[in-house]
Amino acid sequence: MRKLWVSLLVMLLALGAWAQVRTGAWVDEVVFIEEPSSPKGVDMVRTGAIDLYAYAISDPALIKTIVAELGYEISYGSYNEISFNPYGPEFVDGRLNPFAIPAIREAVNWLIDRDYIVAEFYGGVGGVARYFTITPSFPDYARLADIARALELKYAHNPEKAKAIIFAEMEKLGAELKDGKWYYKGQPVVLKFLIRPEDERKQIGDYLATLFEQLGFEVERMYKRAAEASPIWLSGDPSKGEWHVYTGGWVTTAISRDQGANFDYFYTPRGRPDALWQAYKPDPEFDAVADRLARRDFTSVEERRELFAKALELSMKDSVRVWVSNRVSYTPRAKNLKVAADLAGGVYGAWLWSRTIRFEDKVGGTVRIAQPSMLTEPWNAIAGTNWIYDMMIIRGVSDYATLPDPFTGLYYPQLVEKAEVYVLEGLPVGKTLDWVDLKFVPEIKVPADAWYDWDPVAQRFITVGEAQPAGLTARTRTVVYFPADLYERTWHDGSKFSLVDGLIGFILTFERAKPESPIYDEAAVPGFKSFRTYFKGLKIISVNPLVFEVYRDLIYLDAERIAAGAADYLMPVYAQGTAPWHALALGIQAEAAKQLVFSSAKSKKLGVDWMNYLAGPSLEILTRYLKENIETGYIPFESVLGQYMSKEEAIARYKNLLAWYEAHGHLWIGMGPLYIDLVKPVEKVVVLKRYEAFPDPAEKWARFAEPWIAAVEVTSPAPVLKLGAPWDFLVEVTFKDQPYPVKDIDFVTYLLFDAEGNLVLSGRAEPVQDGLFVVTVPAAETKKLPVGSIRIEVAVASKLVAIPSFASATFTAIP
Amino acid sequence: MENLKRIASYFGVRSSLLLITVVVAVYLVILIANMGGHMDKIRESQIREQVGLALQSPEFQQMPEAQRRQIYEQMVEVRRREEGLDKPFFQRSLKYLVNGITLNLGRSQRITSDTGSNQVRLILVERLPHTLLLWGTAQLLLFFISVFLALYLSRHYGSALDRIVVALAPTSAPPAWFYGIILILIFSSLLGLLPYGGFVDAPPPPTMLAYALSVLKHMVLPVLSVLTGGIFVSIYNWRTFFLIYSSEDYVEMARAKGLPPRTIERRYVLRPTIPPILTSFTLMLITVWMGGIITETVFSWPGLGRLLYQAVENADTPVMVGSSVVYGYLLAMSVLFLDLAYAVFDPRVRLGAAGGRRL
Repeated sequence: MRKLWVSLLVMLLALGAWAQVRTGAWVDEVVFIEEPSSPKGVDMVRTGAIDLYAYAISDPALIKTIVAELGYEISYGSYNEISFNPYGPEFVDGRLNPFAIPAIREAVNWLIDRDYIVAEFYGGVGGVARYFTITPSFPDYARLADIARALELKYAHNPEKAKAIIFAEMEKLGAELKDGKWYYKGQPVVLKFLIRPEDERKQIGDYLATLFEQLGFEVERMYKRAAEASPIWLSGDPSKGEWHVYTGGWVTTAISRDQGANFDYFYTPRGRPDALWQAYKPDPEFDAVADRLARRDFTSVEERRELFAKALELSMKDSVRVWVSNRVSYTPRAKNLKVAADLAGGVYGAWLWSRTIRFEDKVGGTVRIAQPSMLTEPWNAIAGTNWIYDMMIIRGVSDYATLPDPFTGLYYPQLVEKAEVYVLEGLPVGKTLDWVDLKFVPEIKVPADAWYDWDPVAQRFITVGEAQPAGLTARTRTVVYFPADLYERTWHDGSKFSLVDGLIGFILTFERAKPESPIYDEAAVPGFKSFRTYFKGLKIISVNPLVFEVYRDLIYLDAERIAAGAADYLMPVYAQGTAPWHALALGIQAEAAKQLVFSSAKSKKLGVDWMNYLAGPSLEILTRYLKENIETGYIPFESVLGQYMSKEEAIARYKNLLAWYEAHGHLWIGMGPLYIDLVKPVEKVVVLKRYEAFPDPAEKWARFAEPWIAAVEVTSPAPVLKLGAPWDFLVEVTFKDQPYPVKDIDFVTYLLFDAEGNLVLSGRAEPVQDGLFVVTVPAAETKKLPVGSIRIEVAVASKLVAIPSFASATFTAIP
Repeated sequence: MENLKRIASYFGVRSSLLLITVVVAVYLVILIANMGGHMDKIRESQIREQVGLALQSPEFQQMPEAQRRQIYEQMVEVRRREEGLDKPFFQRSLKYLVNGITLNLGRSQRITSDTGSNQVRLILVERLPHTLLLWGTAQLLLFFISVFLALYLSRHYGSALDRIVVALAPTSAPPAWFYGIILILIFSSLLGLLPYGGFVDAPPPPTMLAYALSVLKHMVLPVLSVLTGGIFVSIYNWRTFFLIYSSEDYVEMARAKGLPPRTIERRYVLRPTIPPILTSFTLMLITVWMGGIITETVFSWPGLGRLLYQAVENADTPVMVGSSVVYGYLLAMSVLFLDLAYAVFDPRVRLGAAGGRRL
């Protein structure tokens, strides 16, 4: 009897443990409200009125409050630079433009004190110094940390050097310095400085203007907001000399793992067709390097690194823009809240936020989030709202084939199981994760029966054999495998996922861009033209389990990115969210009847409402079609989609959606861990609830709730270094005071500088154990070094987070 | 009969003049909002800036340069047409004007209603109830409290309460939103008694009664900020106004005749002050239409004031015109109504033979 009780107890405990495996979201409910004021948003977090203010704050005063009193996430998505008008050296009216001379532009790097800018204008917490077009928190910087660091030291603040160069160049130009002021052809040299007053760029602009004035230039400070400044610096004719200098700013909302094309974009006329870009005249060597990096014209990582090193160096010499600072933004949250934040896009830009958000001390509960704006534009997955705050909610209720790591930008599998990526030999593609199998092949032929195009009149696919009888080749072939239980997953209205959900999206890619189609939209044409340049074919290999292959010319450095892009071809993923076929069908019908349209451009053209699946007059029209379809069993693109489902299945789907609409009052359904329970558009309230049928364990993405940014310390066992003897430096790498696993470290590099600041030696450190690396400088090297102070700088690149960590220490070398 | 003709003629001329005023005012709004057409240049540049950013994507970067440029120009052209920049500003401005004056409010350029429609009528109608509720309540309270307290103080001139109100009158120098921030700091941030802003609790209560109570709770601070910002100076103004009327010769004469104070107040003070009170009341009601741009923003109140701010920020001419033209018509109708009301309430006002007014 006793044994029976014990067995029963064990069974109950096991059952209890099983029952506690949480699936989907950690929390039960997420309530979104709107709060446009960031000081108020911060205060609301402080008083507990909300748990998260989903806005990246960069006001130094607010940041100090956040750091002192709240929890927070950091992101690095926006950055500032100084742009120069390179036309000249004389404008059409004969005025002098000193910034036509690359040496003068380059000298501005020495003229400005980036550390001062960060300390003064960002309060020491809201920014970091930036020297290059690559972002200090993105992977390329980590890969090139040693090269970048050496250049940063070369271009460190040196106003005397800047002055000497600028003065010499001005004299070469024929300018005269009289009574401390520069004159050209008898007229004072006036620099027209466009300064943006909206943010810290005002202080940066004023600071630089003052430096120019101190050098003898007369400066006309023109404070203009974005809208007023844009027609002058971007579209205005540079030869007219309406401006010389502009305080530029840029934003990135996602981590870029390949910033190689930035040189081409920011320094050459190929970057943009705008008037300013057409005035760029890069040095031929730089131009060629930038072009090769943009076209990914290299065959190995080493070759890319060499090109990059050259481009970094030459970009500093060109300096049509001088990079100044990267803004560090803080997203305030309650201290007991955990959530993934993208290093570029913050919490609102993180694809994983709904999968990671939770209270540290409990499972379940309600999270209250305020956003600066919400429900700004109509929601439809095809071409609806693109506002970052709306997209945060949309991503939270959606599910995807793959999801990007918020700290490295690398794609991980979510719905997809695995992928094989075949790439032409010699193309610079690598892989990091096991879910992708990368193979290099001499040739990739596209099968004749692969789908290549779509005929909107005959409503059928056109095969490669039909469209390109001579045959077609591609640069990549990707075979994507989904697990067998894919079709067991359900949309929020209870409908099971089907292949039709993905197939309809693939058809729409063509259909909306074809003039013969009733849902043709000229706004879809440019994107389609781009797609047409690289898409070569798609073939379904197996329906259950779903396996298909995609042939393309588009390549990325990461095979994971190639696979992620291919996987979306038959997933219901659109530009502005995900949607099932039976919801899209209503929109297709409404657009064909010219009652509602997917895109804003077509809405303006036809004078009808932009389609909204969430609220408003659109719903009346969409639900009318929904009710009709329950009677008729309408299947869009029936000649193709009808092969994969019956009318009864279609009617069952429509009934599910109607029931959903009657329960929740809107038509937005996803497959994500949360669903939209309630929308109050005028009151600006959206309530999300945990979707209990979401099958994945809640802890699946838990490790992405916190970036593993390493803490680094460099020490030497010997207090002084003896020249001619081997030196050892110990590099301690930790995270939250625990050793950083060696397997998660990409590399540790070191740079040695002499007392003059010259780089004398560099190399890699070797791992000793978790959390400990050693830099060994052999005796043969140390005997070449000078006596005096020696500074060592160490850069640690992690595989888990794109931001490299730095540390430095100074020692004394004796004979 | 002749009187009727004179009245009809007067109102005809008056209406025409008011219509011309509205037309001029609305066209000025169009010109100012578009910087006399310079806004087109700004918009075009913004379009190029935004489209140019798209060229940073790998899909475009791997394209041949000529093709990339062609697609860029095509994207710019689509956006230009979307914004109406393919037509000259003058032509568009006349269209905005005609549409506005005929109350064919049309569709917005950028902003949409909260429920996603771009029909200007829906955009305005959606926000109107919230503005009417907040500003109607606040202004009515402000008006009636001020008038009745002022009347009381004019009877108790020099009393302690009178002196306090006079002393506090300068407190109305800061605007209502300034008090709004102070009130939020005290009642929301410090004491946690009232919400920071918004229209209703989130999630909204399910029952009608609880919903109404929640809205009332959210109205407390904004209404209080309007009252705090305006009450003392308003009482002071009305009090001075009543005092002036109370010291007229005919009032002194009535007092000398020994008429009871109530009768004096009703017949000799209030009666002649009705037209200005009515004017003030009517104009106050019209201002309710515009809401309060900053106060609504401070309290995240979904009203017309915030909408107008968004429209200006986005240079959305149809919404600005829609809002202005309705305000213009309301103002014109009010002026006409007041002309009529003056004739009813003030026996001294009569229409002259030439359609003019004489006293």
